[in-house]
This record gives sequence, structure tokens and C-alpha cells, in this order.
Amino acid sequence: MTKKNDAAIVKQASNALAVRPESGEEFITPAADIYETPHAFVLHLDLPGAVRDGVQVNIEAERLSIRARVKAIHGEDVSILYHEIANKSYYRSFNLTKGIDTDRIEAAFQEGVLSVTIPKSEQFRRKEIKIQ
Amino acid sequence: MAMIRWNPTRERSGLPMELWNIQRDFNRLFDGFMSGGIQDDGSKGLSLWTPAVDISEQENEYHVKVELPGISKDDVKITLESNILTIRGEKKLEKDFKEEHMRRMERIYGSFQRSFTLPSVVKESEINAVYKDGVLMITLPKAEEAKPKQIEVKVK
Repeated sequence: MTKKNDAAIVKQASNALAVRPESGEEFITPAADIYETPHAFVLHLDLPGAVRDGVQVNIEAERLSIRARVKAIHGEDVSILYHEIANKSYYRSFNLTKGIDTDRIEAAFQEGVLSVTIPKSEQFRRKEIKIQ
Repeated sequence: MAMIRWNPTRERSGLPMELWNIQRDFNRLFDGFMSGGIQDDGSKGLSLWTPAVDISEQENEYHVKVELPGISKDDVKITLESNILTIRGEKKLEKDFKEEHMRRMERIYGSFQRSFTLPSVVKESEINAVYKDGVLMITLPKAEEAKPKQIEVKVK
């Protein structure tokens, strides 16, 4: 999540429907907020309608990827009168910078929001130096 | 630092806000032809946030689904007035994080309002709303007179 990687994230419009070329699978790129505290990076992603068991957070080769399945929303014998909800899976990935403690990454899913806490490794934390 | 919501649609089309609004109104107008009696009454005032809504119908009830991830239940108000269903609310900034720590903001904060004219009368006292997994689900049972009736007519 250096400046360079940040720019790479901007290219993806959030909430836009995209197609993964290799599989042809359609997915939504969820909107994300990123915080950087002295100790960690924190991501918040909007995944409304996602099933808790269907949310996956993976780290592979300095890339954090998030995918989530949504549950089928309409039962049988239903006629749709008004339709705006895409009802597609979510997918988004982020490049991780150096200095991240990948063993201690934590994720929580609550009220349709996935939050991922990515701790900085000890030597990359902000330290305050006292003036003698 | 003032925080301005990033609006990908506006950014992509490069249109100023008024043109974007006109475009949205046209989309609504044309969508209206296809939407089987449901009328989107739009959002009043300058509400930049339009949460996505699905409305479906079953024999005995209507279901209104609204995508509201990360909102507090107490910040949502649902009202029904002469068959116009209005959902309004506000999503507040996360209290656990300082503004100075924010590096990217794509998620939408602030207030919204959406209104829909329902195609038939509903039982006001039996409207039920549940908030789960970031989705608000409102169930509106149809009033007796609105249910389809089958009348047998004898041919003499």
C-alpha cells in the first residue's frame, strides 16, 4: 500500500461490474476505505448481501485478495418490480507493501462490511524519537 | 481536510453534477416504463447517495430490499404515507478511526432518502423490517382488497 500501489487501486472503479477474462465470471468491485494507523493498515469493504461463510480473504505472493459470494435473494413465485441490486459475487485485490506482518492479518465481517487489519512489522512502525 | 465522496460515475463520464442529475432523471424515466407500476419518487434535496433497491412481489406481499452496508439500525427511518414508502437514513463516519489516518475513501457516507409509490394498498400495521448482512429487508403484506380475487360467473 505504498503510493505506487495506491495508484493501481484507483484504476478500478468501485461498485463497477467487471468480468474476469480467464473464467468469464462477472463480479462487483466493492468500494473500499483504507486507514493507516501507526501500527497497521485497515481496509473496510462494503459487501452487502454477502454470506459470512462465503467470504474469503487470501494472501498470495504479496497480494491480498478478497472474494465473497452473495446469497440468492429472491425466492420462487416472485416477480421483480424494480431492480437495481446486481446480486453478483464480489472480488477485489490489493498489493501489499513490504514490512507487513502477514502472519497476523485479521479479518472480521459485520453488517455487510469486511474489515481487514494488516499489522505493520516491528521495524516499519512509526517511532517517535525524543529529543535529548 | 474536507472529505469529498468519490463518485466513480461522475468521474468516469466527466460530467458536471447538474448534467449527471439530468442523466439520472432520464434513466429513471425510462426505467419507469419497464418497472411494472413501481414509481421511483426520487430523492429530495441534494442527496448524493442512492442506495440500491430491489422490489419484488409475491401473491400476498411486497418485499423491498435496500443495500445499506455498515449502517446503524437506529439511523434508518422507514415511513409509509398514502402508499408512498420512504426510506431515509444516514451513514456516519467510523468513530474508531481518525480522519488523519484515512488514506482512501470510496465508501459512501452521509444521508440518503428514497421513496417509492407502491402499486397497491398494504396493511400498514403488519409492515416488518429486518436488517441483516448489510441489507435492509422490508416486508409489506397486501391489504385484502388488493389481493387478486377469483369470481365465478355463471353463464345462464
